[in-house]
Amino acid sequence: MTYQFTFLEDVALADAAFEASGDSPSELFLAATQAIIETMVNPDTVSPHWHQAIEHQAPDLASLLFDWLSDLVYLKDAHGVVFHEATAVVTEDRPHGGWKARGTLTGEPIDPQRHELRADVKAVTKHLYEVRLDDERWVARVVLDI
Amino acid sequence: MKLHTNMTLNRVADEVWEIPASEKAGMLVPARIYATEQILASMDNGVFEQVTNVACLPGIRRYALCMPDGHWGYGFPIGGVAAFDPHDGVISPGGVGYDINCGMRLIRTDLTLADVQPRLEQLMTELFRRVPAGVGSKGFVRLDRRKFEEVMRKGARWCVEQGYGWHDDLGRIEEQGCIPGADPSKVSDQAVARGISQLGTLGSGNHYLEVQVASNDRIFDPQTAAAMGITGHDQIVVMVHCGSRGFGHQVASDYLKVFETAMRRYGLAVKDQQLACAPFRSPEGQDYFAGMNCAANSAFANRQVITHQVREAFGAVFGRPAESLGMDVIYDVAHNIAKVERYEEGELVVHRKGATRAFGPGRLELSERYREIGQPVICGGSMETGSYLLVGTDQAMRETFGSTMHGSGRTMSRTQAKKSVRGEQLKQQMAQRGIIVKAVSMSGLAEEAGFAYKNISDVVETVDRAGITKKVAELRPIGNIKG
Repeated sequence: MTYQFTFLEDVALADAAFEASGDSPSELFLAATQAIIETMVNPDTVSPHWHQAIEHQAPDLASLLFDWLSDLVYLKDAHGVVFHEATAVVTEDRPHGGWKARGTLTGEPIDPQRHELRADVKAVTKHLYEVRLDDERWVARVVLDI
Repeated sequence: MKLHTNMTLNRVADEVWEIPASEKAGMLVPARIYATEQILASMDNGVFEQVTNVACLPGIRRYALCMPDGHWGYGFPIGGVAAFDPHDGVISPGGVGYDINCGMRLIRTDLTLADVQPRLEQLMTELFRRVPAGVGSKGFVRLDRRKFEEVMRKGARWCVEQGYGWHDDLGRIEEQGCIPGADPSKVSDQAVARGISQLGTLGSGNHYLEVQVASNDRIFDPQTAAAMGITGHDQIVVMVHCGSRGFGHQVASDYLKVFETAMRRYGLAVKDQQLACAPFRSPEGQDYFAGMNCAANSAFANRQVITHQVREAFGAVFGRPAESLGMDVIYDVAHNIAKVERYEEGELVVHRKGATRAFGPGRLELSERYREIGQPVICGGSMETGSYLLVGTDQAMRETFGSTMHGSGRTMSRTQAKKSVRGEQLKQQMAQRGIIVKAVSMSGLAEEAGFAYKNISDVVETVDRAGITKKVAELRPIGNIKG
């Protein structure tokens, strides 16, 4: 596994920011997804009883990742769940000229007695948001409103 | 004085600094920052960049303003205030924030510290049980879509109709807890799904419910305090800080996306993507305004249901109905909102983001209870220090579009705060100082440590000396509930 993420200290004083990276777009998505999961909860305290498929397509990778991550924020409130982990497969959408992502989220309904809850993410923001290719490594910088 | 900017700042009054419109290409008006020298020096570079970006937005009038609790935000700085001409100006979700109508409510009691101290642990446990907090928490009010739409239209009024409050509460809420013009057809299904089960919940981050004490030695204006229901003598009050929860966050996210496209259509360019905006009179601008008002009303309703639960908790612990405990609402103010208000220029679309309305005496928008003395302004400090009750002034009407500060303002990142103290350790330290904390998340608790914020007293002194609000009372925490 070659994906990784780091929380950034001085990017968002009142909120949370992270840089995620991977050797492929799929790994980048996994890294960023794990970062947002860990912002909300310690995933080791969450069982993978609940499953949700996610699928998106977008004209560019940055828009695709933004929509993908925004889904986690939505599902957290709408389904009342926190997450354990995710799978993600990101490919070029050749017929339509963009990108598409497919994956599955696992988790379970929120239980404050068992889950080590952290921050309630309000939104994925476009502040300083970027997805770039650095020396054959895909990198994203994301700021979350807390 | 060393600042985190190279921009020119001219001192135009003891606590007012102006960045001239010539400082940045595209500025249409100067920017003005309310701060002492010390506070100005502590402000991050984002404040200066963002307030001058706001000064570039079409239709802005007089100044782009930042209050002394200002710090970096999305698009607008936190503490930002700007007014736009409704005919040729814009409306921007970045000037309202993701948490639409995040705000403060203060509830008085007839109880004293001597009454409450022996049962404080029991009281905090009861409040923690009745007011859900933390990630994705759900409230006890069950709503279907039709009922949720009523909440969007009626706000706190809906709650009172359902028995979650007293009729008298409504006159003690900004806009009487119900902003006209809310249109539920302008909010997405996703927004409804995020918010429909969250009525009566605190959320997390810097949101809290706090039991506080009003001591005689911290009342600065006894006459105004008494008119608001603050009698001192170690009186117990309850402060609530929260907003529109997932519903408002989704409305903001949805319309930022809509506005990105709309800006191209209207030929608008902004300095920062998070300042996405649309002409106020455009279909997109009016749709956002109608959707934002739905979220604003749901936030008033949220704080109203929490008030009901607070009254129930006090009633259960003290064995008397809340009415006999004198648990009136003192006031409820929004500090993340855009509203149409009348000034000498005529009607303006005033954006306040991390800034509080502070109307002075005589404004017709105020209920009769407060029309003579001015509007109560509630400013929350960190959970370790204290909070303040202030009152609006005529000077605020002249200088700041009737606006003032909203809290202390962060100076340290959440990550850094967590490195400096553990949640359990902080909880114990606070208990030793007589403050009982009930928190869902220990890491979230550490993030809100007092040292991560400016000293609220310095911020309050600034607005008091500047004359845009006057101090009424300082409120000291003895119990805190956090998400």
